[in-house]
Amino acid sequence: MPNKLDELRERLLRAGVAPRHVRRYLRELREHLADLTAEERTAGRTGADAESAALARLGGIDELAEAMIRQRQLRSWACRAPWLTFGAGSLAALGAAYFIACLLLWCGWRLFMPAAETPFGYGLPATHALAKIYFVADKSWYYGAPIVVGLGIAIIAIRQRLSSVWPMIGLGLVAYVAATARIFANRESLQSKFTVSMSFLSLPSSRAVASGELLYALAIFSVSILPYLVWRFRNAYSQSQ
Amino acid sequence: MPTRASNPNFMNGVPELLILKLLQNREMYGYEIVQAIRSQSDEIIAFGEGVVYPVLHALEEERALRARRKNVNGRSRVYYTVTPTGSRRLEDLSATWGTLAGAIQKMLKGPYAKQIG
Repeated sequence: MPNKLDELRERLLRAGVAPRHVRRYLRELREHLADLTAEERTAGRTGADAESAALARLGGIDELAEAMIRQRQLRSWACRAPWLTFGAGSLAALGAAYFIACLLLWCGWRLFMPAAETPFGYGLPATHALAKIYFVADKSWYYGAPIVVGLGIAIIAIRQRLSSVWPMIGLGLVAYVAATARIFANRESLQSKFTVSMSFLSLPSSRAVASGELLYALAIFSVSILPYLVWRFRNAYSQSQ
Repeated sequence: MPTRASNPNFMNGVPELLILKLLQNREMYGYEIVQAIRSQSDEIIAFGEGVVYPVLHALEEERALRARRKNVNGRSRVYYTVTPTGSRRLEDLSATWGTLAGAIQKMLKGPYAKQIG
């Protein structure tokens, strides 16, 4: 039975059933099978006979898969609206991550460098070890955000056994938006407000900038897609065995 | 895995009605529901027993049922109960099926009964 349930799991995931529903379905089927086997044993069947009769009562793989796939409300969002998950959803996740980075920058600026016109380009005194750690962490979060979002897309794609089209689109969008993102933090005078803002999709000012953006986008894309590619290769390899 | 002959009628809207009816008075888990359907329908309604779960999950998704995991005699099971939404759904389904059954009955006993028979 474990092999049959594995087969059922793969079929359901590939048909777009949400992983949480698949997990619960398989667990309830296992429990039901245990009850049926116990009932068959009580009725006098032994060992393999009881198990075989219980399996027959539970239903065939086709029937069990069909019944689940027919319930459209149990399908995942990635299947029902991939453009929403991998398009709008990816960009919203990236936007949220960048918002956190901006907020951290704004707080650090106010806290550690209130006299500075910008938190960029100023060396902090050595006594500000905590400030240095803080800004390094914020910078890491800013540059790591697109990779975290990209890895999220890859994990969703693996969990739901998706073909590569929509995950690629999502990863491409995230990489492009992240590569063209700019963060600004300045104020006109010490009396002015601390202002942190971002711009996206701006055209590169020179060929060198364009190459830098392209390389950065490629780096984000390559790192993010790695787990998905490994999974695809492993899958292809195990199927060829 | 060996398969059993199924009654396709079970898949055409009847399962929701039967499940909601059974759960109207007390909470039950999947295996109990299937055994109740089998015994109360004198085994006329036959189906792969596992197919009851997608229907239960769908009804839960529509908020017609509520599920909770409970330990009974050392075994963990998911018990289902009907919600107020489920009760209203049961009333609607019962009315629809009552009307339909009445109409079919009338056809079978009407002037065309011999032709049908």
